Amino acid sequence: MKFDLEKIKSILPQREPFLFVDEVIEAEGNSRVVAVKNITGKEDFFKGHFPGNPIMPGVLIVEAMAQASIILYYLCKPEIAQNHPNYYLGKTNAEFIAPVFPGDRLILEANRIKIIDNAGVVETTAKVGDKIVAKATLIFGIKPNAKK
Amino acid sequence: MPKDSNLEAEIKELVSGVTAIPIEKLKSDVDIFAELGVDSLKAIEIVAAFERRYRVVVPEKEIPNIRTVKQIADMAAKLIK
Repeated sequence: MKFDLEKIKSILPQREPFLFVDEVIEAEGNSRVVAVKNITGKEDFFKGHFPGNPIMPGVLIVEAMAQASIILYYLCKPEIAQNHPNYYLGKTNAEFIAPVFPGDRLILEANRIKIIDNAGVVETTAKVGDKIVAKATLIFGIKPNAKK
Repeated sequence: MPKDSNLEAEIKELVSGVTAIPIEKLKSDVDIFAELGVDSLKAIEIVAAFERRYRVVVPEKEIPNIRTVKQIADMAAKLIK
């Protein structure tokens, strides 16, 4: 299964310039998602991180992995996700292995460890080509959106 | 030593490892949510660690009923069979 940007925007609450998933290239049942973020070099954060030496901030790689994890949550719990709950990141155990530069195609893999209605544990990796650039275990919570 | 006592000791170690609560505070019947401040995110971490260690799947509907080390050990005994 593949998702285009329109479908992704129907799942994720984030929007540009804070949307870090461009497409979903693989969704295996409800246990794994592979998503892509193309790093163009036009992103605002490169102006300051760092001037003349653009490198994608590690925290934004984690954000991209977290957004891929929300899509995985959607596959597991569509009936809750379609009501657009609030997702909050509770804990990350991350390792940054290599820098990400403009022009890189960031491949985000999210593998379900445990997902229940109100929380999830997901193992994620970010790759450029075949090389792992970061990996993280993410623990996140889900709360109903009071505005709905 | 009875088998369950060993299991409880293992569970205490696992819960302590996830929550950083000292093992001596993890009495068998203490409600780890009400009395030791474990929240829902720590709970799912405990469940994930538990599943990984014992290679079992904890049914989601069971999770809210597990509040003490003894209850976790009882569930482990049931699932590991």
